[in-house]
Amino acid sequence: MRRPVTDGVWTRRAEWGPAVLSVLAGLALWEIAARLWTIQFLPPFSTVVQTAVRMTLAGQIVGNLGFSLGNLAVGYGLALVVGIGVGLGAGRYRKIEYALDPILAGMLASPKLLFVPVLYVMFGVSRGAQIAVIFLSAVFIIAANTMSGVRTVDAATVQMALVFGASRRQLFWKVLLPASLPLTMAGVRLGMGRAVAGMITGEMFITLSGLGAQLRTYGNRFDAAGVFAILLVVVAVALVCSRGVRHVERRLTRWAEPTT
Amino acid sequence: MRVGVRSVNRDREWRLGLGAASLLAVAAVWQVAALMVRSLLLPTFTDTIAACARLAASRDLWQALWVSNQAAALGFLSAGVVGIAIGLVTGRWRLAEQMVDPYLNILLAVPKAALIPVLIMATGLGLLSRVLVVFSFSVVSVAVNTRAGLRLVDRSVIEMAHSFGANEMQLWRKVLLPAALPGIIAGLRIGLIRSVSAMITVELLLLALGVGRLIMTYQDSFQAPNLYATALFVVAEALLLTQALNWAERRAFAHIGQAVVE
Amino acid sequence: MIEIVEASKTYAGGSGRPAILALDGVNLTVRASEFVCLLGTSGCGKTTLLKIVAGLESPDSGDVRIDGRTVAGPGPDRAMVFQHFALLPWADVLSNVAFGLELRGMPRPEREQIARHLLRTIGLEGFEHHHPRQLSGGMQQRVGLARALAVDPEILLMDEPFGSVDEQTRRLLQDDLLRLLERARKSVLFVTHSMDEAVRLGDRVALMTPRPGRILETVDVDLPRPRPPDVDRNPRLIELKEYLWARLRAMHAATGD
Repeated sequence: MRRPVTDGVWTRRAEWGPAVLSVLAGLALWEIAARLWTIQFLPPFSTVVQTAVRMTLAGQIVGNLGFSLGNLAVGYGLALVVGIGVGLGAGRYRKIEYALDPILAGMLASPKLLFVPVLYVMFGVSRGAQIAVIFLSAVFIIAANTMSGVRTVDAATVQMALVFGASRRQLFWKVLLPASLPLTMAGVRLGMGRAVAGMITGEMFITLSGLGAQLRTYGNRFDAAGVFAILLVVVAVALVCSRGVRHVERRLTRWAEPTT
Repeated sequence: MRVGVRSVNRDREWRLGLGAASLLAVAAVWQVAALMVRSLLLPTFTDTIAACARLAASRDLWQALWVSNQAAALGFLSAGVVGIAIGLVTGRWRLAEQMVDPYLNILLAVPKAALIPVLIMATGLGLLSRVLVVFSFSVVSVAVNTRAGLRLVDRSVIEMAHSFGANEMQLWRKVLLPAALPGIIAGLRIGLIRSVSAMITVELLLLALGVGRLIMTYQDSFQAPNLYATALFVVAEALLLTQALNWAERRAFAHIGQAVVE
Repeated sequence: MIEIVEASKTYAGGSGRPAILALDGVNLTVRASEFVCLLGTSGCGKTTLLKIVAGLESPDSGDVRIDGRTVAGPGPDRAMVFQHFALLPWADVLSNVAFGLELRGMPRPEREQIARHLLRTIGLEGFEHHHPRQLSGGMQQRVGLARALAVDPEILLMDEPFGSVDEQTRRLLQDDLLRLLERARKSVLFVTHSMDEAVRLGDRVALMTPRPGRILETVDVDLPRPRPPDVDRNPRLIELKEYLWARLRAMHAATGD
């Protein structure tokens, strides 16, 4: 259903033209509606931008932003290491997969906030608990996808390697591992989204510091402009992170793309 | 790799055995840790199970679940309807997709919990705001997966239908909807999990109602066994719903491939 | 030399489906440097037989011997070419060709030298650093062929190798294969469902019946080697093809296919 993007800047512009127009129209609608009818909880877009700039200049945003990103880096980084490691192990050894299956299923289905009491016992009401929420949010989906990636390698490729004399170890490192990259990277991408969500949710609940905590504070004060300003920052962070991961994903799995 | 009849059956035994063993291991570690740490916030496994039995017999838990799930059900149903509609429209007509895509991408990437303060400011603290939160958590997943399911339809099948003179209505009924069904179900499954998650999240964060209030009450009064028991019930609900939909998905669509966007 | 004696194989059904008797008492011998084609309809167990000879599966009863020794698994004396190429999509052409050698522990410079030489022989010089998705089907299969030849096996097992390409490419690949085998004689067990291909390539054609798989008969192909360019007009070739088609048609009728 997709028209192939041919060379030429004009064709490419035609591709995202409607998208840009749509967003601009949406923003315009917001601005007009908010000015026409003074909605208490919806300040005009321009006011939100002004507030954001003011808050940034007053140093109210950068500190929290840095705090949140710090949490994200540690939590997500750990989730990557543990998630991919466990996923590879479960993919390689069936027995590990069987043992982990029920735990994975349970954790994937559970809202992670439920585990905060346990985290309080382990880390106290601290930054550690916030990082742990991020870790828990991302690690299971990463592990599940990695495991799936190793398990669902094309049978013909496996048979080919066996015919040419691959040992079990060679099969794992030279075939299963590279072949699992697309699904593993999908897990990494999904994990990023969940990590960012865990970052905000964790901070809204364990309100020490960070963008999430700030959101909650301004929300309690009914400071709509403030809330939207912070929301703008959150959206920006989320988009940058998501685009970043997707870029890496595409780079690493270029060989898996079908040719038109 | 040689796989014979015997090893398939042995497989199933291993699967059940190891699964059960690891759950038992979790329970054991939990018990030991609780006895060693002796925190007011970490009850033993046995105390928690006892609390589960107690709560299951009392009215409080079921009443709380009823209140909470109202929002979840309404939110999920509306997210289902709207999400499927958006998914079908953007999957079928390229222009619609291009115009709606940026919003979907933003909503997909943004942590929905961040929207809760806005929704609370807009609609107060009642059922409507909770329904809206649940809606916002799950609608995008439903839409995106529906669209993915629709995209799986082979171009040549559509052309074939056109060549036999099918009009738009017939195309939808006979070709597009049946083919997109796996994607739709996948989206609903993910949306359901998100709905349960949203239900809990909003209550824990900002609205002391239903199960959320129960949990916060137990936490504040350090009734740890009840606290953990309630959490287990929520996990059980989420698991049950997931498995039910998984089963339905597998039953109906074993023969069609899937494109799943989490 | 491959000796298949009374080989049988059953696939378990599982989850309500009946067990399938894939092979029933198959007998076949492939002599040294002989090119034998396994010809039959779909689902007659040709691929199963090939996998057994390759060592990927073992027969439930009967014996499969290579040079007198029972087959116990894959080995350096056999290499396989697959219908859908089975190339490693993340590796370039050179690495793909050298894959078998890499698995055997040959150091990189040596195996790349062999791979390069083979690519030249097979007409893919210059494509060393291309990736499979950048190649056409015919080129990919050439890579598959080069990979099999790189490990210098005594036996080539080919599972409908030219079934995924168009007819023109198929003809060219067939000619390439024959040319390569002229230089380095190998025993070949070639699975196909094309009578034309079986007769053009083989020294002998073994007809297999489906469900259960059995060798119905073997036909000697007494056409000159090397095949002359005008072999398609050779009356003996036409005769053989007609004969094979008649036998296959009878098979279809018997099984109601």
